[in-house]
Amino acid sequence: MASIELLILGLVVSSLIAYVLTRFKQVIGSIFTIFAVMFVFVSVAAFGFNMGLDTTVHYLPGISFSQSYLGFYFAIIIIFIYLMVSFFHPHFMDKYTYKNTYNMLFLLSLAGVIGAFYTDHFLNLFLFFELIIWTTMFLIPQGKSREAAVTYFGFSLAGSVSLLLGILLAFEQTGTLIINESLSTLSGSTGTFVFVLFLIAAFAKLGAFPLHLWLPIAHGHAPHPFSPVLSGALVKLGAFIGILALVKIFPTTQVFETVGLPVGHYVVALIGGLSIVFGTLMAIKADDAKELLAYSSMSHGGYILVAFSLFNSIAFAGGLYHILAHALASAGAFMAIAAVARVTHTTKISEMGGMIHKMPITYLAYLIAIISMAGIPPMGGFISKWLIFQAVIDQGLIFVGIAVFFGSVGSFLYVFRPLAALFLGQEFREYKDVKEAPLLILIPTAIIMGLNIYTGIFPKVFFDVINKIILELGFGGITYTTFTISGNNGTLNPGLISLVFVVGIVIAFIIFILLKKSRKVGLMDTYTAGNFVHDEHLFHYSTDFYAPLERLYEKQSHYMTKFYKALAEKVKELGTFLKYVFMSNSLSVVILLIMSIIIFVLWGEVL
Amino acid sequence: MILNILIGILVAFFGFVLQTSIGGINRKIVGRMQKRQGPKWYQEFLDIFKLLSKRSVSHGWIFDFGVIMALGGIIATAMFMPITSNIVAFEGYDNFFIFVYLLAVGMLGMAMSASGSGNPWASIGVMRALTTMLAYEVPFLIVVLTIINLTGHSSLTEIMMYQQQSGNNIFLIALPIGGIVGFIALMGMLGKKPFETYIAPAEIASGPMVEYGGKQLGMLFILHEISVFIEVSLFVHLFLGGASNIIEFLIKYFIVYTIANLISNVNGRFKIDQVVVFFYKWPLFMAVTQAVIAIYFGWVI
Repeated sequence: MASIELLILGLVVSSLIAYVLTRFKQVIGSIFTIFAVMFVFVSVAAFGFNMGLDTTVHYLPGISFSQSYLGFYFAIIIIFIYLMVSFFHPHFMDKYTYKNTYNMLFLLSLAGVIGAFYTDHFLNLFLFFELIIWTTMFLIPQGKSREAAVTYFGFSLAGSVSLLLGILLAFEQTGTLIINESLSTLSGSTGTFVFVLFLIAAFAKLGAFPLHLWLPIAHGHAPHPFSPVLSGALVKLGAFIGILALVKIFPTTQVFETVGLPVGHYVVALIGGLSIVFGTLMAIKADDAKELLAYSSMSHGGYILVAFSLFNSIAFAGGLYHILAHALASAGAFMAIAAVARVTHTTKISEMGGMIHKMPITYLAYLIAIISMAGIPPMGGFISKWLIFQAVIDQGLIFVGIAVFFGSVGSFLYVFRPLAALFLGQEFREYKDVKEAPLLILIPTAIIMGLNIYTGIFPKVFFDVINKIILELGFGGITYTTFTISGNNGTLNPGLISLVFVVGIVIAFIIFILLKKSRKVGLMDTYTAGNFVHDEHLFHYSTDFYAPLERLYEKQSHYMTKFYKALAEKVKELGTFLKYVFMSNSLSVVILLIMSIIIFVLWGEVL
Repeated sequence: MILNILIGILVAFFGFVLQTSIGGINRKIVGRMQKRQGPKWYQEFLDIFKLLSKRSVSHGWIFDFGVIMALGGIIATAMFMPITSNIVAFEGYDNFFIFVYLLAVGMLGMAMSASGSGNPWASIGVMRALTTMLAYEVPFLIVVLTIINLTGHSSLTEIMMYQQQSGNNIFLIALPIGGIVGFIALMGMLGKKPFETYIAPAEIASGPMVEYGGKQLGMLFILHEISVFIEVSLFVHLFLGGASNIIEFLIKYFIVYTIANLISNVNGRFKIDQVVVFFYKWPLFMAVTQAVIAIYFGWVI
């Protein structure tokens, strides 16, 4: 019987051990980290499925745990991503600025994750959230960008503050800090306030519009192996808070008759739609592969918000499955990019080309990840998007529909860019000597690749858990059998689709193999319209891939950055002013300050 | 299950033969329009078999693998396609979204193979193809959203049956604005002028096709014919009420494809950004108007 408390304490202790071991020898510390994470994963997976974890607390004062399928679902996905990523450490350790602390912070943030999903107490939730934020804040600058860490912390702080404010407001009305009790008894305008505050926290963590700015900066500049964790796993914390707000609070607002949704939920769905559209457009524009994937996370965060604001079990199932599918797809894509960046030392798409000839397995991993990310069968992303589409169509949400469809088609565009320009195309001479990633990196890549396919063909295992979550949230379960999933207006058979796809491939392969063998020629031996091209860099179309499309929204794409820049300026000005007032050496200012304090105090006395 | 798969393969083969013949007939029609004799109706078959028998060049494994994946994906999509309300390989599983997204596997394979050739023209062509897709897909899907919302089914056969019931008009009449949007989107899907931007033979050397020859090009021709079959059949089933027997299907199919082809032949070519702006201006507006009228007000003819 594994106890949650012991798992967390174990992680804290092993983080210290990891620090010492890493100081002694980097590889040993990293391998120790792998085993520590693996132990946690195995214990949670072995006992968590049947709610068999021990929730009693003996040593930690003021902390209490409880189990729910919702928490378990999130926890197991995130721990899994942590486990996969930990395999990358031995090969990346020498790239960090502060090598010794990396493994320690990594394990500490995992402790925070377990605590956050298994606690039943609001203040504990907040505490573990802060643990995650603070540890990741020190992990991100290891990628040599301090600005990234500051931006991440700024937006996370906005989220934390509104979360804390929401918690306190809820406590004021309900008098309890137990999550479920508190949320279910909320009512009136306090309920609405808490709803809004929690959603701000969710948006900040999820990187949804308009609090999305940190995503590309933090994901783009984080250490290569940590980006999969940020995007695939930690962003999902926002989804968790979002579920708390959208599903467990029932603010007494008006109901939109035409779409059958409370106004608050409809607005959230629209904001989710905006996230999808903005994320897609910015991802199409991005030149940095990791930034591109970060914007795609923003767009997928939008899907998750849309799904949870629709208030029916099909949409919930879609949203929950999307969390899994996107975690796997995003982690897979980021890992592939990390493996490439390890040998090329750059993540700029326009500086790479033809990596497929040297790294075919990494290429396949990326291909399968993006097929899932774009929601194309036979991968997991298709099933979740199909379920979300079902719900959107059934509710007749036209404007959300535009965003959802736009994001879905737009994702073909952006995921194809790294594929075409980074992996395919001309082979650059500076990367002639690079080799395929080492075995330790290929193992997790292959596992994630397999899972991306598995989630698309046999979703039953996952729907077993998802159905329990939906029932736990108080909705009717969805209908599914071993191979089929039923929505309101149709049935999907993922296994059949995959089978038919394989049949199609076999037919095409037979046609191909029966015909005459083709002669192999080099990549430079192509049609050049009569020109003599001597340099492969000139013959590689990768910069400004979607230039004609980008030109259409060039001007508008900087609005949000400008807005936050202006906001930052204003905050700075305020800071300068306050500094001038409180830290001044000038006698007159000090006297003015003392006088005003006295006036305030007297004013308080009078009133 | 094996029988169903066999039926599916037959459907895909039927689609190939049908579209290749009708494509040939249309070449003749266009020839007559331009005061030429025009080729024989089976000219397209000859082209394809000639290409398949030729020896070709290959630019590496992804170049070949992409072609196989593309053709495989398209064949798989065609296997789900119902022909009439009775002839369907996998009953109940001919979900609309399968066609949109499984078609995308084929397109992804082709794009991958084209980019794998290392020719920048191919990449430009792929870029334009994807951008065009972004343009036409959204208005089209909004119209389909309206249709699925009204019928309560996303299975093509069910949508077909709904229109064939007495008292229900076919959706081209019931949703006239949406029908027009559907047809414009179909023109975009087929890559007919004025949305021919991504092939543009005189401008970017046939775009994605630039490096192909021999069997790879032959397979891409087969892929093209089958994907045209899928797209035109989608329009027939969604907006023209499908067909209760095969003759009806052939007539409707022929009319739709010929009209699209005739419109194509009297038009020039848009630039790629014009395609995007065009689709996001009128067709999207019309699609949303139609959806609001039909779903929120319930005004369906």
